Amino acid sequence: MKRDAKTTMGQAMRKTFVAAALVRPAVALFLGGAALAADGKIALKVGRVITQAGAEVENGYVVIDGGKISAVGAGVAPPWDAEVIDRPDLVAFPGFVEAHTSRGMDRPNENVDVAPFLDVRDSIDPISFYFEDMLRAGITTINVQQGPQTVVGGQGMVVKPFGMTVEQMSARNASGVKISLVPRPGRSRATQAQAVRRAFTDLRLHLEKLVKDKKDGKDTARREALFQGRDLDKEENKKGRAMTGNATWKVADLEIVPRGEIDEKQEPLLRVVEGRLPVFFQVSDAAGVHLALEIARSNGFLATTTLVVDGDAWKAADVVAEAGVPVVLGANLLHVERDPVTGKEIETFVPKKFAEKGVRFALQSLNPPAQALWFQAAMCVGHGLDRQAALDAVTRVPAEILRLGDRVGSLEPGKDGNVVLLSGDPLSVRSRVEYVVIEGRVVYDRSKDVRMRHLIEGVEQPNAGQAGVEAASDPHGGHGDDHKDPVDDEKKKTDKGETPPKDDGEDEKRGDDRR
Amino acid sequence: MSARPALLVALALCAPPAAAREVVAVKAGTIHRVEAGEVVRDGTILIEDGRIVAVGANVAIPPSARVVDYGADAVVTPGLVCADSTLGGRRGAERTADPTLRAIDAFDFHAVHALTLAEGVTTVYLPPARGRLVAGQGAVVKLAGRDEASRTLSTSAAIHGSIGADARNTPGYWQPPLPATADVGMGVEQPQLPKTLMGAIVALDELVALAQGGEGAEEYGPETGPALRELIAARRPWRLGAATEPEIRALIAFAREKGLPVVVDGAHASGEIAREIAAAGLAVVFDPPIAPNSGGRDFGKDREAVWPSYSAPVRLAEAGVRFAIAPPDDVGASELRFAAAVASRGGLERSRALRAITLDAAEILGVASRVGSLTAGKDADLAVFNGDPLGGASVVATWVSGEIAYQGDEAKAAGAVVISVEELHLGDGEVIAPGEVLLEDGRVRAVGRMVGRPQGAAVVRGKAAMPGMIDAFGHLGLEGSTKVPPTRFELARLVEPGDLADRRVARAGVTTVVLAPRGASKSGAPMMAYKPAGSEFERMVVADPAALRFQWTDKNRLESGKAMREVLAKAVEYKKKWDEYQKKRAEWTPPKEEAPAAAKDEKKDGEKSDKKPEAEGEKAAGDKKDADTKDAEKKDGDEDKKDEKKKPKKKGEKEPAKPVTGAWETKVTIAPFSETRLRLYLDDVDGAVEGSLRCAALSDDLVAVAGTRKEHDLTLTGEGTRGAIELAAKQEDGKLVGTVTLGSTKAQFTAEQTSTEYEVAGRSERRKEQEKKPERPERKGEPKPPATDPDLEPLRRAIAGEGAVVVGVEREDEILACVDAFEAAGIKPILLGASDAYKVVDKLRGRVAGVLLSPRVVQIEPKTGVEKRNRYEEIAGAGIPVAFHSAAEEGAADLPLIAAYAISTGMSPVDALRALTSGAAEMYAIEDRVGKLEPGLDGDVVLLDGSPYEASTSVVRVWVDGREVR
Repeated sequence: MKRDAKTTMGQAMRKTFVAAALVRPAVALFLGGAALAADGKIALKVGRVITQAGAEVENGYVVIDGGKISAVGAGVAPPWDAEVIDRPDLVAFPGFVEAHTSRGMDRPNENVDVAPFLDVRDSIDPISFYFEDMLRAGITTINVQQGPQTVVGGQGMVVKPFGMTVEQMSARNASGVKISLVPRPGRSRATQAQAVRRAFTDLRLHLEKLVKDKKDGKDTARREALFQGRDLDKEENKKGRAMTGNATWKVADLEIVPRGEIDEKQEPLLRVVEGRLPVFFQVSDAAGVHLALEIARSNGFLATTTLVVDGDAWKAADVVAEAGVPVVLGANLLHVERDPVTGKEIETFVPKKFAEKGVRFALQSLNPPAQALWFQAAMCVGHGLDRQAALDAVTRVPAEILRLGDRVGSLEPGKDGNVVLLSGDPLSVRSRVEYVVIEGRVVYDRSKDVRMRHLIEGVEQPNAGQAGVEAASDPHGGHGDDHKDPVDDEKKKTDKGETPPKDDGEDEKRGDDRR
Repeated sequence: MSARPALLVALALCAPPAAAREVVAVKAGTIHRVEAGEVVRDGTILIEDGRIVAVGANVAIPPSARVVDYGADAVVTPGLVCADSTLGGRRGAERTADPTLRAIDAFDFHAVHALTLAEGVTTVYLPPARGRLVAGQGAVVKLAGRDEASRTLSTSAAIHGSIGADARNTPGYWQPPLPATADVGMGVEQPQLPKTLMGAIVALDELVALAQGGEGAEEYGPETGPALRELIAARRPWRLGAATEPEIRALIAFAREKGLPVVVDGAHASGEIAREIAAAGLAVVFDPPIAPNSGGRDFGKDREAVWPSYSAPVRLAEAGVRFAIAPPDDVGASELRFAAAVASRGGLERSRALRAITLDAAEILGVASRVGSLTAGKDADLAVFNGDPLGGASVVATWVSGEIAYQGDEAKAAGAVVISVEELHLGDGEVIAPGEVLLEDGRVRAVGRMVGRPQGAAVVRGKAAMPGMIDAFGHLGLEGSTKVPPTRFELARLVEPGDLADRRVARAGVTTVVLAPRGASKSGAPMMAYKPAGSEFERMVVADPAALRFQWTDKNRLESGKAMREVLAKAVEYKKKWDEYQKKRAEWTPPKEEAPAAAKDEKKDGEKSDKKPEAEGEKAAGDKKDADTKDAEKKDGDEDKKDEKKKPKKKGEKEPAKPVTGAWETKVTIAPFSETRLRLYLDDVDGAVEGSLRCAALSDDLVAVAGTRKEHDLTLTGEGTRGAIELAAKQEDGKLVGTVTLGSTKAQFTAEQTSTEYEVAGRSERRKEQEKKPERPERKGEPKPPATDPDLEPLRRAIAGEGAVVVGVEREDEILACVDAFEAAGIKPILLGASDAYKVVDKLRGRVAGVLLSPRVVQIEPKTGVEKRNRYEEIAGAGIPVAFHSAAEEGAADLPLIAAYAISTGMSPVDALRALTSGAAEMYAIEDRVGKLEPGLDGDVVLLDGSPYEASTSVVRVWVDGREVR
């Protein structure tokens, strides 16, 4: 059976290879014939639909109309004019949701400490290979946030990994501000915490000064705003508003200051304090969790905070549970430390610790596309977590964290038409992403993925010489095992390219265990 | 640690608070309350809900309280308070003065501080950073405890900074402008004070002015002024680093002028100006200039170089300055006790040094209401030591808030005991006064004036100690039997640990008994040296046989010595044969071609053992080949063999039933015990099985078991200390699978065979080797060993000087004849009885191993009928080894009395002590195990309440194999 499946697939690939002569740059690749279906109706008829909203559907349809899912079920009749992808061998799954990443930008970090006025939309690179790889992994919603090497970073953005411009990719602007307690080089945990606190003290001092100046009849702020080029006649800029929110401090009489006069370098932080702008609070250890929650609480944004945790932060899982904030787990799900007395290595599987305390958590890709969200969820199941919890951690929970719970994370009528068609179970190491549909458009078709085929089959370059021939004739480089899985091999190659050998070995071992 | 889950459970159940509050009573021989310098002897600390309720010698312990008794030798102090640590922040902020930096932010409450707790330190000060004029706010935390809130003693304990050299290289302050455009330049960094001591004082003045509402000091940042104002209003002390005299004087002036509380940190030169510091009312945190765990430091060779001085604390104490001792900035809090010990140089009292790392430190840090002394109402933070906390003792346990936060390794502690006495008698006549002996892993590890104290070792103090005594000729264990066992009988089979009488004998100080049968035999009756109260079966037997017992004197005097001479002649002949064989064997060179011989072996031994001969055969074959190929082949061969082995099993063919003789081992779980090792030593003779069973969960001591084996099924029964034990098992694939039943509890087991021999405990290695010799595969031309005669083996060893022979002989002529006969055979005998030996001492010197005189020490000279003679004294005085013996079973306990009487009637005490210990050991050639206190020998020690030379002295405590006999 295995062998048969492989040869037919191989044949199909060879056929499409001829068609590949037409292929142009990387992004165009995915448009292919799918562009035809743009904004049209599409019906996906598959053997199994994992809706992530109630029961699974056997041999059913997912119908997408106008970019939104119009129907899901077995007894659904597709509209007569819909394009139908009829693949009873495939499994439909909601597009995976990446709750937090600092990739896909030209550079992840800014060297200004407090810069909430920055926006990653200015930094996102639509033709980054990262987005292409995310498609290969079936990830359709990505929250791009600034890196951790900051104090208060810029505002993030939720994107679809598809589009020629940032505007086309956008799913939601201003998804949240990144605040980091990970000490920047040259900082200690204490000085980093102090810097974060100071950002809010500075905001308070600034606002108090504005109020005082206003009362004293000074108009320096107004002139400064005009100098900065702000339109003070705009509706939202014209009026002042009293400070709201749950911060332990308040600036009285803020309503006398038109909002437009607040310095644009400080204004996003005021929105944070008022609970209007979510926060992704990055911490690297358990001590950081305590500090982050304390800072969030005292500045009134605990309810809008998502912790992005790493290291031994799981030790503070009970504190996180008590605070009721969701977390995005670091990509390394296994935490290893050494007992200071016995010298023994202690391994902890992080998601389990948070799950035990009832914390809502989302997973991050370790190394897409090989160790993308499906891999992380599969790791969780491998370490004994509930399968549903693991699947939720890569769909529903991140969707809720991104406040997109009504749009993505499950296959339900009314939600965005983001569907991944897999060759098997989403958590199986042998499954491949065959199609990715975003808002009703087929944006990825594995049979037309030229780059992947190049990786698998090798490319006969015009002047390649001996090496190229070898690569073409033996794409598996002498792997003697009888279950050659092209995707597996592709993954291995990617691993070797991007992770240190130690991690590689460890991950491969885990994968084997699961097999 | 163990108390913690229980407490949490109690809390979780939301039981009424009164019920949830466990009351704990901690008892110890010495309790340093520190408060008012009070030391409580044999006191109790009563703890409730994490706090101390009462401390004292006469504290009434409520019946519901859990009592933890650390014993009379334990010393309890308050949990140590380290007034400095490396657990806070290290890097300073950008600004020279930044009071908003909080040290508490740098502390990780989830980190494990076991290594610091293991040194008794429970509370530490956290500096916010180093190397800034005003680095931030220091904090005080406890290193263990339930939650963050209860562990945080102070989030703002001090305005921490330094005017020392470390704070004088603060880089300039620069903030990138935002946005930096063509119009807005990048700017330059603003220089920051201080670069000099002068500058530091100027900056401090400016800061105080700023805090008091002064203007014009924007360079310190917008938050500095308000933050300092709050801290000054709260009367937080200024804890400022100052090492040299000028620096400290500058701080004194600063404190006086501003009226602010100042703590001098570091304060190396504080000794010189202690009076000035006292007059100004400053407190000091003294860092002794130590760098433990590293090499030496260079101080500089010029005139101005500051060389370390440790004497400051003494002078500060004399001047009445409140001071704490803390490790230097870069040394961890775990070195606190070492720092305090070093800082005591120059004569600081121990009690004062202890106060400097407990109560005074707590007061300087402002947390004395919670920690620092053992006083009702304070947190129950305790450090339990096994001796003087500043004198090399180690921590037994550390308590934080009424719970154990660190527990010394109990298993290790059980194996390590330091016995510290005023006079330590080593057994060979030497005395170390005072002296200490360290017992570890059942043996003497070290002996000397002072020995090391391994982590968690118990320290026992007393007047005097000596090696366990040896009864050189007793009957303990014979249970009244008067039979004379055959020469080849192994007395070790009689050994059974855990007998009450045995323990009583040991408690009297007699730890080794040379067991002799009540009678001699022609070919010699076997004797064994063993330790009746040994807790480990394997180590109880010291030597078996230790000697053979003969009788020279016959009722018919004409026959005296006749039988003995015959035996000796035989033994000499036997020895000669073996010597010849050994000589030939040494000369013989094995032929090169050996494969056929090996193949023959294979056939013969095929059934018995399948591995060894094959390996040998391969080895022979492989000799021809290259080393590499040989290895590879061998591997292949092994694999093939494994396959072959597996196949028949898979088919389900049952192996034929085999005798179960040998040792078996498994693990069983029998409530309430956790998984315990179960060992079986069985002897199977045609289905009749007997032997012993050892399993702590089933019985406290070794259980004799007996039963039958029918084909594969084995049933055994025995009587343990907890009731009858039944065992039923089946042979399956070379394993024993079955159940063991104790009363109503049952446990399943699968036992693996660890040996195929029914080994009697402690059988000497030497003997095993000899037995194994003939088993070696025979090779062509190899000289054949003579037949082994177990009856003559002990004599052969005696001739070689490795064994002993005890011979009963009385009259002087017989003694001489006997000694002559033995001398001809090359043996130095031990004379038993030998009432006339004193008459011929000159002729015996150097020819006998020793004399076992009658236990009747003083005898009346039969000729005169009046003259009393102490023969022990006479013989020992003549330089012939003597030993005391009881010639009784449990009467061995009287041995010390016999010796005491010998001393009181004129014997040299030194000789008597030697006779009780090393003298007897040497006689029987067992001095490699017992008889002396010497590293490597068995840990058998007797603790006395006075000199062992005094008749009034009694035995207080006894250790056998490093474990106390109770």
